[in-house]
Amino acid sequence: MDQAVNVRAAARDELSALLRGVVARDAAALKGLYQRTSGKLYGICLRLLGDEAEAQDVLQEVYVTVWSKAALFDPSRASPITWLAALARNRAIDRLRSRSASAARNRENLDAAIDVPDDRPSSFDVLEQAEDSLRLHRCLEELEEKARTVIRAAFFEGATYPQLAQAEGLPLPTIKSRIRRGLLQLRGCLER
Amino acid sequence: MTRKADMLAAEHALGLLTGDELREAVARVEADPAFAAEVARWRGRLAPLHEEVEAVAPPTALWNRIAAVADHATPANDNVARLQRRLTMWRAASGGMAALAASLAIMLLSQPRSVQSPPGPQVEAGSRAPMVAMLGDQRAMRVVASWDPNSKQLVLAVASDMPADPAHTHQLWVIPADGKPRSIGMMPPSKQMHMRLADALAALFQQGATIAISVEPRGGSPTGSPTGPVVASGALRTA
Repeated sequence: MDQAVNVRAAARDELSALLRGVVARDAAALKGLYQRTSGKLYGICLRLLGDEAEAQDVLQEVYVTVWSKAALFDPSRASPITWLAALARNRAIDRLRSRSASAARNRENLDAAIDVPDDRPSSFDVLEQAEDSLRLHRCLEELEEKARTVIRAAFFEGATYPQLAQAEGLPLPTIKSRIRRGLLQLRGCLER
Repeated sequence: MTRKADMLAAEHALGLLTGDELREAVARVEADPAFAAEVARWRGRLAPLHEEVEAVAPPTALWNRIAAVADHATPANDNVARLQRRLTMWRAASGGMAALAASLAIMLLSQPRSVQSPPGPQVEAGSRAPMVAMLGDQRAMRVVASWDPNSKQLVLAVASDMPADPAHTHQLWVIPADGKPRSIGMMPPSKQMHMRLADALAALFQQGATIAISVEPRGGSPTGSPTGPVVASGALRTA
């Protein structure tokens, strides 16, 4: 256990050092960061966008952003991989939102998304604190299944309120209150 | 933070919002640090879910695309390969630089006199020869500075881009025989700069004085002397 903690801490320190190198405009640090994190970030983009070319465009955008804005990384707020993953997810969601008329395709993706199995607690190839992860999964378990399903669909597929309402065949206010209740309960549990 | 704002932060972190609600959240992130922090906290809370996303190796060509764009987007002052390419280009074009310096000198000599200059001293000053400084570092020549003592005009021509980023600026200095740098001003982003100097500053432009460019915080050196690395320098010589 201690060893696992050490391995995670070492990985985090290594990524932090690479990010500092990027801030100092060290091109080798950017490459090192890319080698260690691009698989994860590409997986995130690919899952959200479902299209290789688009996922590659977004991934390129992410690392170019890192190259010019790594100074914005605040280690007191997030671990490096959390920051990078959030950056990739945000960019991929931006891309998703800017897509023009592909509503039908989105709906198709969503129907599949709602069936995302939610019983995979441990694929810890992980750089993140296992404790936070266990707590989040435990707290998600505590939610009503209906709330958990839509929150997961929003996270993994980048689904919006209207898209979720459509996919679930429910009125918008119903979906909103379901998710809001779930999020409040989730926060309550995480802060216990 | 109100309960409603709190919920808006959570919804925005999760990416649920559309339309007016999305616009409201985006504006609020910009304007309200507490709200932005709450959005960040929610992203952090949900971040462990990313563990479930399987890593997929991107195609190898993608790194080359990123490296090319990053190299272009932000010149890195420690990017040796890039500077070496420059150096090669500069060597190939070294004849061209001498020609550029000569043409600048000719341009200065042939420029019409400023209308403000009284005609008397001009004739007398006409005997003073223009001077040129080639500003470079160990790797490449970067800037040619031409000085016309008669019209007190300094012309700079940028031959190769200097490493820069948006947070910094290039400041130009003259260092006369006393060794004390005096600021001439900030380099504009353009490839050419043309300025007429005040008498006190102009008096420092003597044979052998050093012209230097340093990297300084935006707005210029806070101390009145160079604080950042000198990216190019050269001595003033009669053209």
